[in-house]
Amino acid sequence: MENQDEIPVEPETESSTFISAYEDDDWSNYKDSDVMLQQSAIWEEDAAKSPFVGDKEPLSSLEAEYKSGSPILLEKIKVLSEHYAAIRRTRGDGNCFFRSFMFSYLEHLLESQDVAEVERIKRNVEKCRKTLQGLGYADFTFEDFFALFIEQLESVITGNEAPISHDELVVRSRDQSVSDYVVMFFRFVTSGEIRKRSEFFEPFIFGLANSTVEQFCKTSVEPMGEESDHVHITALSDALGVPIRVVYLDRSSCDSGGVSVNHHDFVPACDEVDKASTSSSGSETNPFIVLLYRPGHYDILYRK
Amino acid sequence: MQASRARLFKEYKEVQREKVADLDIQLVCDDSNIFKWTALIKGPSETPYEGGVFQLAFSVPEQYPLQPPQVRFLTKIFHPNVHFKTGEICLDILKNAWSPAWTLQSVCRAIIALMAHPEPDSPLNCDSGNLLRSGDVRGFQSMAKMYTRLAAMPKKG
Repeated sequence: MENQDEIPVEPETESSTFISAYEDDDWSNYKDSDVMLQQSAIWEEDAAKSPFVGDKEPLSSLEAEYKSGSPILLEKIKVLSEHYAAIRRTRGDGNCFFRSFMFSYLEHLLESQDVAEVERIKRNVEKCRKTLQGLGYADFTFEDFFALFIEQLESVITGNEAPISHDELVVRSRDQSVSDYVVMFFRFVTSGEIRKRSEFFEPFIFGLANSTVEQFCKTSVEPMGEESDHVHITALSDALGVPIRVVYLDRSSCDSGGVSVNHHDFVPACDEVDKASTSSSGSETNPFIVLLYRPGHYDILYRK
Repeated sequence: MQASRARLFKEYKEVQREKVADLDIQLVCDDSNIFKWTALIKGPSETPYEGGVFQLAFSVPEQYPLQPPQVRFLTKIFHPNVHFKTGEICLDILKNAWSPAWTLQSVCRAIIALMAHPEPDSPLNCDSGNLLRSGDVRGFQSMAKMYTRLAAMPKKG
């Protein structure tokens, strides 16, 4: 979304309706549904500019983006490039964390063909289903989203048939009916985990949003387009048992003079039963999912 | 489209199953179009809407349940968050706070809750909102009660 040199100047197709409504000065006919239509028109315009997940780009494209920007950022990108080779951008529509996680995770499975990991995460998905049922969610409100996620898992690791190609994974991840449903699956899982362990999450949520756990889940987790914070990441990582590394690219600098890039590993808080079976989920100090965080946005990073 | 149809069909079955459980809400699907529903809701007790029955019209988009249904009052109602002419409802879950965890049935419950707890600071009906904001609860209640009698109760005789 910060990629300014790619913004084509669009003719005023969408905005013309807005202007005429303004000129008529007839606001009484301008209903909420019109506002929502206009909003979705703006989203569609954005959608044409950047897909849900972009193509893999060399890290140098990140450098180009900041070439006349902050020297601290340029220094940090240099440090990043020692460990990371490429970036895959995601659309900045408030769902970027979940879309990044989805693509990164499925891509890892497709490349590793780690059957044990699929079995493991399926068990966790079943636990999440029970969590939601226990919290009083009606099955029919979430089951379609769960089914679509399982379908994606089974398409990247098929057993005897050949799995889908990498290109097909990209195509699916850009298909709104797939991507939005998987995002919604993650939102249900995240919300369920937060509500199940509400005493644990309560202080973090109070610090972040000054609201109750229930209210937070209803307004900041479950609705599409609500941005993710450390609370969401912790909950999703814990619920699915998948470690996530987040690398922070911001202007903060350290006193010592040298520039370093901070990262934080979200390592699932496993219970005892889980520990025995997480052998294949990647070593704890080296999560296979690495996301680049710039204030307000997540993209996918690739190691060298 | 297919996904929304399947979801609405599940809601339809659930509504049939729960018919007896929630007597304040009567949710009916259009005979020929599963994307059109109407609901009859009872005005909550100890409110100026008590004794009234209010009709709601649902129009469900093809992207449901990722996008919220459009709901409006068909019965005239004097309430700060309902447009007096169009019946349009100002409620966060019908807009940016929508999520697929909601159902048509639970939307009805949320609207009943809104009837009992108006939010005069985000009014669609400014006259109604201003009465409450200026502290004229009695004025608000008598207006709301009058319209309940006029529009939401069966005519006597």
